[in-house]
Amino acid sequence: MTLAADVLGPPAEDILPPLRHRAKARREHVSTAMLLAPPAIYFTLLFVVPLVVLLVYSFYTYQNFNFTAKLTLANYTEALTSPALRDFYFRTLKIAFAVSIIVVAVSYAFSHILMYVLPRAKRILYFLVLVSLFGGYLVRIYAWRTMLGRDGVVNSFLISTHVIRSPLSFLLNSNFAIVIALLNFLIPLGVLPIFSAMQNISPRLLEAAEDLGASRIRTVRTIVLPLTIRGIRAAFAFCFIATMAEWVTPQLLGGPLDQFVGNQILYEFGETLNWPLGAAIALTLIASVVVILGVLFGLLRLVTRS
Amino acid sequence: MSRERHPRRRGVLGRLTARTYVALVIFFLFAPLLIVVVVSFNSTPNMNLHAGFSLRWYRQIAGDPLVVAAFGRTALAAVCTAVISAVLGLSGALGAVRLAKGRWRTAVFTIPLIPLAVPALLFGVGLATFYHSVGVGFSIWAVIAGHVILALPFVFLVMGAALERFRFSLLEAARDLGAGTFTIFRTVTMPLLRPAVLGAMFLSMAISVDEFVIAFFTAGSQQTLPLVLYGRINLGVNPGLNAIGSVLLVVTMALAFLAARTSVLEIP
Repeated sequence: MTLAADVLGPPAEDILPPLRHRAKARREHVSTAMLLAPPAIYFTLLFVVPLVVLLVYSFYTYQNFNFTAKLTLANYTEALTSPALRDFYFRTLKIAFAVSIIVVAVSYAFSHILMYVLPRAKRILYFLVLVSLFGGYLVRIYAWRTMLGRDGVVNSFLISTHVIRSPLSFLLNSNFAIVIALLNFLIPLGVLPIFSAMQNISPRLLEAAEDLGASRIRTVRTIVLPLTIRGIRAAFAFCFIATMAEWVTPQLLGGPLDQFVGNQILYEFGETLNWPLGAAIALTLIASVVVILGVLFGLLRLVTRS
Repeated sequence: MSRERHPRRRGVLGRLTARTYVALVIFFLFAPLLIVVVVSFNSTPNMNLHAGFSLRWYRQIAGDPLVVAAFGRTALAAVCTAVISAVLGLSGALGAVRLAKGRWRTAVFTIPLIPLAVPALLFGVGLATFYHSVGVGFSIWAVIAGHVILALPFVFLVMGAALERFRFSLLEAARDLGAGTFTIFRTVTMPLLRPAVLGAMFLSMAISVDEFVIAFFTAGSQQTLPLVLYGRINLGVNPGLNAIGSVLLVVTMALAFLAARTSVLEIP
């Protein structure tokens, strides 16, 4: 064994000895605070404060390509009632649901096969999925243009194998392209929580179920599924949030009528310079995502309990 | 009693279906990445897969001052993000383990994870309005400040996992032998935590190199490599883009691999 393994050893409870003196105890407290302070200050200043500033800006007044610190609710009225925004919103919502459900289904089947059908290959396959996580966000989206374009890889392949005569045009600049690219980017993030939830199920439970004569489907329904529900929830929530706030994929792969709420936020920040409205749209979007997930998971709990 | 009970035996057909499914998913995940790399070596500007091998696009981007400058900035951002987040993460994690196990300690390890659940778009526009409100201009430093927030969750996860296995009795032993706080840190704590710190730094670099949305909102004119790529995608298809994409891909994957090698990404 290496020295490091010797020293690190098995998991041990931390054995900070009882402090002997009051003065020493106070010194310990001070140094603990000093160690915690830098990250706490940094986190507050560059994460919490920016989000608070965004909230404040969402109440500012916009006029003539400029905004002033006069507080108003107009941005929220606009964000909640504009028919154009409503279209953007429901389009995004539809795709977010579709993508999240497909990701969970594909990742669940994938994890299940890794765990229970091909267990000898699970390490290498899981590693491959992890590696593909680092495949580059923008590069990956761009790659789908090469794949799905009019003269792209898919069309060329289908034409050269005589499956089709003329190139399929719905492949790129469409919802299809957006969904494919999102799935490609989110499936690894779906496999991650679901696989680790399955990993935590004791094989003995499954053996017991088998010995007691439960069918394979019944074992999945009564043991595996309830014990992996947290992983499923995490995967769904992550994909849903990520898709709802996406803007790069629709911009690069969607048609002009396939744009998301995120693209509208970008438009307000970049083109009209109406930052207050952009901030209000962004914050209502996130609030709605939280509410939707809350309701969904609440319903799920009711269903699984009964 | 050596009968293998788990997994259950399945029919040949079932296993074949399972294998096909897994192969298709892996193929789907890697196909776009492979295409980018393959096309980047094409000798012709179109996307023809049967074109000859050539390095012309790599030569083209290597001679492009804009790309070279962006590459330099990306490297700077990656290194600075890694160093800053590692220092903050190490400081925080060492502080956290001094707290008794319980609510506070859990909070210290949980709060830094919050940015994982916040979409980059929201954080990006938040950071931009924040810089605007305090009168800080957009620059590569503004980007780095944001990348540190994105890297911190991973740094805390990695440090937290390392400290789970840390034997605090060693620190006590060092103290009983008369070592001072700094000596203990230098000769005991740091050597034991070095793999975790290094792994966290590689991971932070991978995150920073690949990051696009925060950079988009806060870089201003000091573009990083993903921003140059984005700008040129919008200008139209250009085979040089595949070369830039491949460079980004290889660098991020190499960094992630290094992080895994330093035993950070634990694979069950």
